[in-house]
Amino acid sequence: MQPPDRADRALTGEFWAGVDRGELLRPVCGRCGRSFFTPQVVCPLCGSGRWTYEPSAGRGTVYSFTVVHRPPEPAFEAPYTLAVVDMAEGWHLLTWIVDCPADEVRIGMEVQVRFTAGPDGALLPAFAPRAAAHGPAGAAA
Amino acid sequence: MSGPAARRHPLAGIAVAGVAATRQARSLDGNSIQICLEAARAALDDAGMTIDEVDGISARWPGPGGTVFGPGSVDWTAVFGKGFDWVGDTYPQGAPGLLDAAAAILAGQCSTVLVFGGRAGESAAGSPGAATRATVPSGDDASSAAVSSGDDAMSAAVSSGDDATSAVASYTRPENEFVACWGSLTAAQFALVAQVYLHRFAPDPERMALVPATIRNAGSANPEAVMYGRGPYEPADILASPPVAEPFRLLDLCLATEGAAAMVVTGVERARDCPSAPAVILGGGSEWYRQQYVDPPRYDDVARIGAGAYRRSFGMAGLRPGDVDVFELYDICTFEVVRQFETLGLCAEGEGVDYLAEAGIGLDGRHPTNTDGGLLAYSHVGWGGPTLKIVEAVRQIRGAAGPGQVPGAEVALVTGAGAGAQYHNAVLLGADR
Ligand SMILES: [Zn+2]
Repeated sequence: MQPPDRADRALTGEFWAGVDRGELLRPVCGRCGRSFFTPQVVCPLCGSGRWTYEPSAGRGTVYSFTVVHRPPEPAFEAPYTLAVVDMAEGWHLLTWIVDCPADEVRIGMEVQVRFTAGPDGALLPAFAPRAAAHGPAGAAA
Repeated sequence: MSGPAARRHPLAGIAVAGVAATRQARSLDGNSIQICLEAARAALDDAGMTIDEVDGISARWPGPGGTVFGPGSVDWTAVFGKGFDWVGDTYPQGAPGLLDAAAAILAGQCSTVLVFGGRAGESAAGSPGAATRATVPSGDDASSAAVSSGDDAMSAAVSSGDDATSAVASYTRPENEFVACWGSLTAAQFALVAQVYLHRFAPDPERMALVPATIRNAGSANPEAVMYGRGPYEPADILASPPVAEPFRLLDLCLATEGAAAMVVTGVERARDCPSAPAVILGGGSEWYRQQYVDPPRYDDVARIGAGAYRRSFGMAGLRPGDVDVFELYDICTFEVVRQFETLGLCAEGEGVDYLAEAGIGLDGRHPTNTDGGLLAYSHVGWGGPTLKIVEAVRQIRGAAGPGQVPGAEVALVTGAGAGAQYHNAVLLGADR
């Protein structure tokens, strides 16, 4: 669940504001050029505080996944597929795999971001198999 | 503990002199303060001490009541009607709690530390304990979620046989910003690690299910276990239980129950005057890779978490993993037991399932493991859960573990947390000799 003020958060508001308009952003370090996630005050790879949110191409591969049959809250409709997606830009995040039957999700599967409404209606950056993903990279569903 | 490596690590001057566990159950009347106090008093009784002798306390403050200030352990001064010279709020449970207490004693900050934790009256919705807990902004909710990958619904399901209709609202759930929105739960965080292992090594499911079946059968034989009398379990029973977060099924995952555990930590000289034989700290260590349940765990980052803590622990003890008589491992899920044996180096990565099937982890096996039924079948009570492991290890070393006793056990390994939580810890306890 997402509180309504997520776009106002100090460190992560810009990320959520991007999600709200269907754009996936990632912290990119101004010194070492690398991406990291979750957002931190300084780049955990080089220690620089000089980083900015840049657009992500939204391409990744499934590092791992689990099909959840017992949700932590009734609002989440089981089964759903949680995944760790490794982004082509060298960062990773916890997310959902959508538009793919649970028994067809595979480790190593190529996926593309697909903005999906969470149980409270707020958009979340989920991922769909690249074959099933339509539209330009990073575009809203 | 003999031979050329006879120069002992300073930790060997510290012992567990008293332990106690209260009744463990799916839910208990009363509140967390009451159940913690019960455990604390029982551990003091076991050590033949009174609170007057205790000058260090490590418990945090579970509520209800008290303040929102830290360190929460100070709130216990009002309960016990006395002050303390040292309080330990860092991680007041299990191996880290024991090692912090030992460090405080060795550093001359205090002489005897009471470590305890647990919960009661929180599993029923709207209970006073639950309400108070929810309002305390101390991060305790996240902490207890962290150590508990099961839930009340799971234990309810197993004991009632009615898993389909049991409530799901009590599943432990990380509440962090990039976790909660996805409907993740603690079991899922561990599942994300286990899936990569299964993908790479494809262990035989029946052999893997032998691990929880064996541990659950130990719980079945333990009259103090929440799951006492259940079973016996065969691998097929594990595999037939409903999926929770793949690859984990209901019977792969630990309980989330109520109860408390406590231990009295003091110098070994003082411990020798106590009614029961001391359990001496032979070694111990921790590894904290990342904060739990903030970033998703990756197998390649956390598969061998604990290897350094184990290496340091065994180095202090002058022992090898093969010298351990009884293993009290943090069995938050089936995979963690396998992973910890691999990380101990008793078998290679990917070979744990076959190795354990051949070596055996029951009382008749080469590596008796979780002899009380573990978190899977004995109990798991939040802050008290890791300390329950120490209670069982000390009982084993005393030869007082009841039906789960390993004859002649002298060296016990206790572990805490695991790969899905991205931290791990260990302590080796041994007979005083
Ligand atoms: Zn950098």
